[in-house]
Amino acid sequence: MTRLRALVRKEVIVLFGSPMAWIALTLVALVTALIFYDHLRIYNQILFLYATSTMGGFESDTVPDYINLRDTVFFPVMETLGITLLGIIPLVTMRVFAEERARGTDELLLTTRLSPGAIVVAKFAVAYAFVTLAMVVSFVYPAMAVSRGGVGVQHLLSVFVGLLLHALAVASIGLVCSAFTKSQLIAAIAGFAAGFVLWDFSWAGPFVGERLFAVLDAISIHPRYGAFSEGVVRVSHLVYFAGLACVAAALARLSFDWRRVAG
Amino acid sequence: MSQQQPQSAPEGPAEIPAEPAERSREAGSGVRIEARGLTRRFGPHVAVDALDLDIERGTAFGLLGANGAGKTTFIRMLTGILLPSAGTVSVDGISPALDPAAVRARLGFAPETSCLYPELRVRGFLHFAAGARGLSGAEAETAVEASLERFHLEEVTKRPIGQLSKGFQQRVSLAQAFLHEPPLVIVDEPTSGLDPLQQEEVKQVLADRRGRCTLILCTHDLGDARELTDEVGVLHAGRLVAHGPTPEILDRPEPLRLFRGEEDPA
Repeated sequence: MTRLRALVRKEVIVLFGSPMAWIALTLVALVTALIFYDHLRIYNQILFLYATSTMGGFESDTVPDYINLRDTVFFPVMETLGITLLGIIPLVTMRVFAEERARGTDELLLTTRLSPGAIVVAKFAVAYAFVTLAMVVSFVYPAMAVSRGGVGVQHLLSVFVGLLLHALAVASIGLVCSAFTKSQLIAAIAGFAAGFVLWDFSWAGPFVGERLFAVLDAISIHPRYGAFSEGVVRVSHLVYFAGLACVAAALARLSFDWRRVAG
Repeated sequence: MSQQQPQSAPEGPAEIPAEPAERSREAGSGVRIEARGLTRRFGPHVAVDALDLDIERGTAFGLLGANGAGKTTFIRMLTGILLPSAGTVSVDGISPALDPAAVRARLGFAPETSCLYPELRVRGFLHFAAGARGLSGAEAETAVEASLERFHLEEVTKRPIGQLSKGFQQRVSLAQAFLHEPPLVIVDEPTSGLDPLQQEEVKQVLADRRGRCTLILCTHDLGDARELTDEVGVLHAGRLVAHGPTPEILDRPEPLRLFRGEEDPA
């Protein structure tokens, strides 16, 4: 436990000593604010159009039910945010393993009493904690929808859990990419690519057979994320995200053995 | 990949018969290292070729050779970072390929200065090194304080490593390697890139630790090897072309010919 604690502490210092962590946090906050603002602006314009064209004002029941804060602002914001995170999170995860290899500090770590498993656990834990922090920051604006948008607290919690699990899944993919290369650039690009590919396979429906599509649908992130956004929490979805994290950690651990063999 | 147990019969390159090294060694200190037929291939390239080597307890051993001779590959196999393609290496009879954790528990490794964390402050880094070696609480604090004093780092404890001179960075690297008083210390290019004053400081530090553990010094600086080691082994193209007491190997008329693999000391 002493060794793991020492490594976690080191990881936190190194992470926040890097400008990339601060840039990523700022980006998440900024992009979230912009996305939220943009959707809110469109919502206001729609309301204004209805108000002026019917001359009945906002209280005249002329605005259709589907034009509301929840459906016009909250859900689209979460959808856009989910896709945006696919691009931002790999900027943080790219350096976690790759930088150690590029600097040669991985050999320093491996000549201490830290096991490869402990190294993977510590690095994943710190990356997950950072992503959680970023998600808390990003969730401030959507949370404002609770008071006025008819989104209940339970629904909001479901959405937050979905967003967080999605972000952790993207981080897991980025960490695996970082574990197999010493180039941060390659790790970032591979992280983007793998994240985008795994995001949604619904486009593949017309091109592949039913069985293959069922498999692709089973491994894609979006259907699970979408369910959380609608306030649906299923155990199978939680298992999916937990499984993705476990597979990613196992692959990252495997990268150490691979390097012992391949050099 | 063959992972045999270490053989007892030494069968290496021709060793120069000589008196034991003059440097006194503390009885029982350090570890014994034994390599038999140790080979590592990367595709068609043979980085280490059927290496047979014995390093006795408490020896300060200089691993010499030009760039690409196989020094780093040997060290990586010795520390368990890399698996051998054939043959065995052992530390006190323990194979780093089979039980890397047991070998690393006995090990201190001082990499080149570029292989440190520039963001960490000196004291923080040493605390991390202590924790990574399983030291905690008062034990870690004592080890860190002793190390700061021993390696004359008191004046820079709060400075980030990246802002230190190369000499100080080298001392930090050595401090973390010796922090837990390991019986085996491997030091990679300890004076590379240092000015003459810094080189002297680092050499003094290493000279102080000599005889208290098995020390492996990877270098291509003959001066360092002459001053700091009892025995040297010279690698060329992955093969051990010379092994013996330091004066016997390095005081010959043209020791650099060994680096080029042009002379067989036998």
